[in-house]
Amino acid sequence: MKPLDPASPYFVDSPGRVRALQAEMARAGIDLYLGSRLRTLSWVLDAFCPWRSFVVVPAEGPPAAFTFVIDAARLADETWLPEDRVFGFAPMGGQDQIELISDHIKDLLKGRRGRIGIESGMSNYLPEGNLTHYEFERFRDALAGHELANAHDLVDRLSLVKDAGTIARFREASRIVDVGHGAVCEALQDGGWKGLTETGIAGLAALAMRRAGSEWEWSFTGGNEIASGYRTGLTGGACTPASRREIRSGEPLMVDIHSMFMLGLGDHSHNYLIAPASDRQLWHARNFTDIVDLTLRTYRAGTSPSELAEKMIAFAESRGFADYMVPGFEHGIGMMGDEWRIGMNDGPFPYWTNPDHRYRENELLICAMQYACPEEGIGFRYENPIVIHAEGCEHLSKFPLAVDVVL
Amino acid sequence: MSPLQYLTEEWRAEAETRLQAELTPERMNHITSSMSNVYLDCPGGETKHLLFRFQDGALAELALGTGEPPEAEFLITGSYDVFAQISRAELGAQKALMTGKLKLKGNMIKALKLAAIADRLNKVLAGIPAVY
Repeated sequence: MKPLDPASPYFVDSPGRVRALQAEMARAGIDLYLGSRLRTLSWVLDAFCPWRSFVVVPAEGPPAAFTFVIDAARLADETWLPEDRVFGFAPMGGQDQIELISDHIKDLLKGRRGRIGIESGMSNYLPEGNLTHYEFERFRDALAGHELANAHDLVDRLSLVKDAGTIARFREASRIVDVGHGAVCEALQDGGWKGLTETGIAGLAALAMRRAGSEWEWSFTGGNEIASGYRTGLTGGACTPASRREIRSGEPLMVDIHSMFMLGLGDHSHNYLIAPASDRQLWHARNFTDIVDLTLRTYRAGTSPSELAEKMIAFAESRGFADYMVPGFEHGIGMMGDEWRIGMNDGPFPYWTNPDHRYRENELLICAMQYACPEEGIGFRYENPIVIHAEGCEHLSKFPLAVDVVL
Repeated sequence: MSPLQYLTEEWRAEAETRLQAELTPERMNHITSSMSNVYLDCPGGETKHLLFRFQDGALAELALGTGEPPEAEFLITGSYDVFAQISRAELGAQKALMTGKLKLKGNMIKALKLAAIADRLNKVLAGIPAVY
């Protein structure tokens, strides 16, 4: 069990989160919450759950965590919950996840018919962790007489605005990412790029970040995303797992790296042109840095994704590069596993960002911008975690905004 | 000695004597824990239970009863026949669990720590000449 230290800058009040969730459950008429999404597990347990896991939050009292038995002792060691609240499931009589959790729930509800909150939905983020159809059917059968009701909005609402400890973790993760960028930048200089591959650069960054304390290149998109040449400018593309492609002169290079610190996530992308850089390439680069700069100066509480997109596309149109902008400027972020939509699930398309979501102070998001000109084989990406403030935003990675020309 | 009828008071008394003699606190890793075996469909149709309670590795209680089992850290439920097969060494306890013939209730993390100890305990019980 990990002790909670309120004096730590990275302290998050996990018992307080549980109490807040229990209050929301009471308001929503939920007797017990069965969480299965990675974001919920991180938020409630304050520990990384890489295997299929569940958390059962009763109406009162501490929750219980359930995970694959091979990882249960490690989870018990790292979460704030006491050891006897962490259970491992295994293919044994009474110990498979459905029977173990159902029995636990029935014990908690003491024979009452209960309304059990579950997490169902869809996501483009593969490890989201919604209850599968099979799991739903099995739980429904094992908990016959109880009602299973979709209730993920309770956790989504509570986890949207971040507390100081969570933001501090993101700051530290961004500091680590900047160490990674520093290492890559140094390695590329003075012909150092020659012979390097995208995967090699991903590894260079990973080593530097791990030495600086990163726990993981957390992104499910292949860890550190490195793209060179035409791969930087794939149409509408914003996902580039590193390939074995060698870095070449006269081409762009995109370095999008990820770190994790206490479930806080670093995610910053920096861009290069390997010399010689043509005037046309430098024109693209100026377009990109100018629109990123303007975007960062535009974010503030009260604005919405659609308003921001309209302003930025108008700017791009005025400068003649609107054709090259992917018209999305951010994605959601939270503790590990919370990487997808912005805001609540209340937009015109379920489980996508609500374009009219109004940002609030201390929401965290990734400012994510992709410039892509496939016909010229050039593109750039910007990503940086930002904290929304009343009159602006704080971008957590401090690596200077630029497209660096490397000799 | 002549075989004893499995799960009778005579068998329990012999089990208690052997467990205390053969399983020292050191061999039991000085554990403090309890386990209730619940035997379904016993001859005569009743349900029996056998409670093991260890204190600092010493057997503090071995209680045989019928009906609802007492509170214990671990509850292992199965048919009389399955437990009898395990006692006759015809079936391993782990295999019985993994095939669902036995059902374990309790914290798996702690159960894993106690698996080897449970094996030692089962071996002692299997050494008692018994009829089923």
